[in-house]
Amino acid sequence: MRIKARTLEALYALLLLLPFLFTLTVFFLYAFVRALYFSFTDYDLFNPPRFVGLGNYLTLFRDPLFLTALSHTLAYSFVVTALQTALALLVAMALNRPLKGITFFRTLYYLPSVVSTAAASLLLLWLFQRTGLVNQALSLLLGHLPHLGAFALLFLAFQTAQVLWERRRGLTVPFFDPALALFSVPLALLAAWGLGAAGILEPWEVRVEIPWLPTTARFLGIPYPLWAIILMNTYTTIPTLMVLFLAGLKGIPRTLYEAAALDGATPWVMFTRITLPLLRPVLFLVITLGLIGTLQLFDQVLFVGGSGGAPLEATITLAYYVYGNVFPSGATPRVGLASAAALFLAGLTLLIVLLQRRFGVSERGWSA
Amino acid sequence: MKKAFLALLVLLGLASAQTQVRISGWGGTDIAIVSGLLKEVVQPKLDKEGIRVVYEPIEGDYTQWLFNALSAGTAPDLFYVDVFWSESLFATGRVAPLDPYFSKGEIAEFLPNLIQAFTYKGKLYGIPKDFNTLALQYNTDLFDEAKVAYPNQQDTWETFEAKLRQIQAKLKDVAGLCVVPDFARFGAFAFATGWKPFDEKGRTVLDQNFRRAFEWYTGLVKRGAARVAQDLGEGWTGGCLGSEKAATALEGAWIAGFLRDKAPNLPYRTTFLPLDPVTKKRGNFIFTVSWSLNAASKNKEAAVKVLKALTSPEAQQWVLERGLAIPSRKALANNPYFQRPGKEPELNRVVFQGSLGQGGYVYPFKFLSYGGDWMRPINEALQAVMTGQKGVDQALKEAQAALDRLMRK
Amino acid sequence: MSPREAARRRWARVAWIYGLLLTFGVFFVGPFLMGFLASLKPDPLEWPFTLRFAQVSPKNWAAAWRLGRAGSGDPWLGGMRPGREVVLEVAYFWPEDTPPPLEAAVPRRRPGAGMGAVFETPYAADHVRLLGPELVEKAPARLGEKEGYAYRFRLRVVYPGEGPFLERVPLDLEAPRGALYLGATLDPTRFERRGRVASWDNVVPGFVGYVFHNYVRAFREARSLETGESLFLRWTLNSFFLAAVKVITTLVFASMAGYALARLRFPGRQALFLFMLFSMMVPGQVTFISNYLVLKDGIFGLSKLFGVETLLNTYTGLILSGLVGAGAVFIMRQFFESIPREVEEAALIDGATPWQTLFRIVLPMSTPALGAVAILTFQGTWNEFFWPFVVLTSPREIYTLPLGLLSFRNAYGQVGDWGLILAGGFFSMVPVLVLFAVFQRYFVEGVSVGALKE
Repeated sequence: MRIKARTLEALYALLLLLPFLFTLTVFFLYAFVRALYFSFTDYDLFNPPRFVGLGNYLTLFRDPLFLTALSHTLAYSFVVTALQTALALLVAMALNRPLKGITFFRTLYYLPSVVSTAAASLLLLWLFQRTGLVNQALSLLLGHLPHLGAFALLFLAFQTAQVLWERRRGLTVPFFDPALALFSVPLALLAAWGLGAAGILEPWEVRVEIPWLPTTARFLGIPYPLWAIILMNTYTTIPTLMVLFLAGLKGIPRTLYEAAALDGATPWVMFTRITLPLLRPVLFLVITLGLIGTLQLFDQVLFVGGSGGAPLEATITLAYYVYGNVFPSGATPRVGLASAAALFLAGLTLLIVLLQRRFGVSERGWSA
Repeated sequence: MKKAFLALLVLLGLASAQTQVRISGWGGTDIAIVSGLLKEVVQPKLDKEGIRVVYEPIEGDYTQWLFNALSAGTAPDLFYVDVFWSESLFATGRVAPLDPYFSKGEIAEFLPNLIQAFTYKGKLYGIPKDFNTLALQYNTDLFDEAKVAYPNQQDTWETFEAKLRQIQAKLKDVAGLCVVPDFARFGAFAFATGWKPFDEKGRTVLDQNFRRAFEWYTGLVKRGAARVAQDLGEGWTGGCLGSEKAATALEGAWIAGFLRDKAPNLPYRTTFLPLDPVTKKRGNFIFTVSWSLNAASKNKEAAVKVLKALTSPEAQQWVLERGLAIPSRKALANNPYFQRPGKEPELNRVVFQGSLGQGGYVYPFKFLSYGGDWMRPINEALQAVMTGQKGVDQALKEAQAALDRLMRK
Repeated sequence: MSPREAARRRWARVAWIYGLLLTFGVFFVGPFLMGFLASLKPDPLEWPFTLRFAQVSPKNWAAAWRLGRAGSGDPWLGGMRPGREVVLEVAYFWPEDTPPPLEAAVPRRRPGAGMGAVFETPYAADHVRLLGPELVEKAPARLGEKEGYAYRFRLRVVYPGEGPFLERVPLDLEAPRGALYLGATLDPTRFERRGRVASWDNVVPGFVGYVFHNYVRAFREARSLETGESLFLRWTLNSFFLAAVKVITTLVFASMAGYALARLRFPGRQALFLFMLFSMMVPGQVTFISNYLVLKDGIFGLSKLFGVETLLNTYTGLILSGLVGAGAVFIMRQFFESIPREVEEAALIDGATPWQTLFRIVLPMSTPALGAVAILTFQGTWNEFFWPFVVLTSPREIYTLPLGLLSFRNAYGQVGDWGLILAGGFFSMVPVLVLFAVFQRYFVEGVSVGALKE
């Protein structure tokens, strides 16, 4: 009787799991095994696969395009994961306050994450054209360096004046007192604008014309078009990660900070001793998801490439390399090579995630 | 009664004798051309034979679709084949040779250069439907303003370059030409020197002739005759012409559609590419597309009839008169369309003649079965020299090494 | 520190935080706003980038409205009908005493790229007559250092007799070198030939036709060849349909699988769970080759039983291959584990089957997790690109929105028509932005519920 109940339970489990098992077996397990098999063969979709042993893997490492794709993928993944994690944490900490209207800002900031990668890529193509907004903004910024310099000097002057005044009244105020700065900043802005309007400060003639897209030139070892994708993707992922961090920050009791403040801890100490350790599970999740996601970059390569965009050599990633070999333009498919590259990508993902867990941030809270 | 009987007969006839032939090509503007052609020229002719043509244009990546439809056995009876990737497709054996269906006389009616382009291992695998070559387009406004003589067909590289330099000197904000680091343009000049992409053994040797063209082309910018397209914010020479950033462009007839959109009032004219001062010859590419026959087609006879109708003199006349594409038949060289006034007929005429004797050394735009891999080392060398990253010696040495690696594979 | 001082500090800090929040806001919304403004311009890549251009000037709005109404009676989308007449005035500066010779023409203009080049629409040049330019005013004027005259001309476009409705009436006006354009009723779309030719794409645009010029073109030119319906609309509906189906299948099947993994005992449970985690880490590029072949053969030939040769280019294939994702199962399992067992035990004692327990008791209390899975799945499907890109290749009518955008981008990137491309991008954002505005709370919270219920 008892055995029968057990069997019944297992049967129910099977019933409940059936649809999931179907997808998992047919579209994952079978596919995975087949990819493994293809990777040892020469297969062009026309003729039956021919066994070639490790040949494909050896060819991979002799193919300069594959090596380019590999270096792009790694660089992209590390830079984006680092940037988006740090920036999202920063924004989340700014937002983690019981202020009026904070939900409004949270919703506003979420906007870039709602937009599909396809639409965001179209925006990217425009932003990073030679006369696109990015170059225009940089030109504007560099052209107004005199104004910015004047603003900084004026701010310091106003602030010093105020601080000295307060100290003469016998109050101890730090130099960058926020309350005083609240007056200095608008005053300095107004004065700097006035200087410009009066014609005393002239904007410089600067025209930044970085060819972001149609180039293979590199900056810090990463091609410009890839930088464009890095910036755009960081920008669109920050909001999602920010929301995750916010949820994590909510879980940290306020009393901890209050106690630390009573002990005279500086904000930096509170950040490193309280926030970071308690945020570890979220941090682990964000970094792991970030790594897995960025290692699979594909859409943007396709959108940013093509006419009016970037050359393939400057943007190709492993994911694209795989696709490009299964469906090469104007050649017979190289499924074996593609499978080998795909499995390599899978192994790389697994390795990086494990290494991250071992030597980077792990999911356990205080154990570090 | 009689009428009804007739109708019944026709219906029966349709039901029993009608053969379906499926044809496919890529999308874009081709859809308008092919559907118009089918409706007005091809189908009326085939109705008598009981053949119905079903046209399925493919939007998206055409080569991906074709290779995969052929491997899956769902490919249509007739389809486009671009010469650029033709050899890797013909090598699969999924395309039927056309020699059994066409007499020597019939084949001789097409431009021999085009027929050659679709001949693989001695067999003909496609009938060219149209083609393109490179020509030199120039903005007459800018030449007038700078008071420089228009480029003409006697120009050599040197005289042409002198004109460009004058343009650039007199109109400060306009480039003579905008150059691209692309073999698809530079190659025409390399061919003019007598250099061949492949020698008898099928290897590529970047010899002295190649180097002469390479130095001339990459040096244009430094000598004040051209600017790099990228530096002008454009991706191709046509873009520079259309935005009036450059006075000339090196493109085929495809530039007409672009200019219609981008600069409908731009007054441009067309002439041949300049001559190599040493050989006194020009070089050119042939970009062409064929109709090819599926080897697994179940009704090859009917499909061939459709193929013949699609490339018949009437069909090509129809296409040419509308200025849609340049026909592949010899007989159309003297067509009155080419003599019409206007910038587009002139462009089409020069592009058509580019494939004939005036073209000089003309090669189809294909590189055995290497495809784009073959061009990549040369493009990289062009890019490196044009941006000043490398010297000519080093760039060419590296390109040669990369080509040798590719051919060993 | 006095209480007054402390309060002052506190307020200052609050002010700084709001300042910071606003700065972030500019950063997160600014590029979209600027992109939207640029998508209204005829040339979104003009240098320098200005915020004052013809399409946002109220003078042109009024003129476009008036001209549209005069041309067809439709002040919004404009166009021209037979028997109508529109008047346009243009002013030039010219140093000489005799008026500058102007040449005006209604060109035969047709798009050279994209689907616009395929559709045959009647040419305005075949139907309308252009009267003028006729001089109406001459006044002495100075332009910088130069002395001269301002000449005002009037152009009349008349559509006599009978004929078709004209969507647009282009106009070119060529002035001699040295004549400087001062202004017009409606500012020209662009200047060509180094400023000598003022060119209007449409002199009867209507308000929407003028301000949202690129949007109207994107909508009109991306049309199906077969049916003539708007492809943007089709793609959007396709994306919605697929997302809806996938949300439903995922909710049902992920709850079932998640429940079995969380509560039921069966051999290999732990192994299955680990395998599931593994599958989440493997990139789609590994499995797509085989999956593509499986769909090509109609899932081991099963589809042939229903008379379908291949599942490529079908939604059936796309849906069947993505019934339920491992991620969703994972979230549901974690959520079910966090529910106290006591809740179900009562039901089990009453003899309810696991099936009944799941659907009657557990699921009704799982709305937060279900909501999160629904939102995540919706967003995932809506944005999904790689797999649909492999499965759906032709015809264009079956594309999802991202695929459609790619084909749109490729069609117009060639000619560098970035205005149209940007317009297409923003077009595609509208539905999901509306959805976001309505369900914003769930969007933002869905992410955290989904990820942190561990």
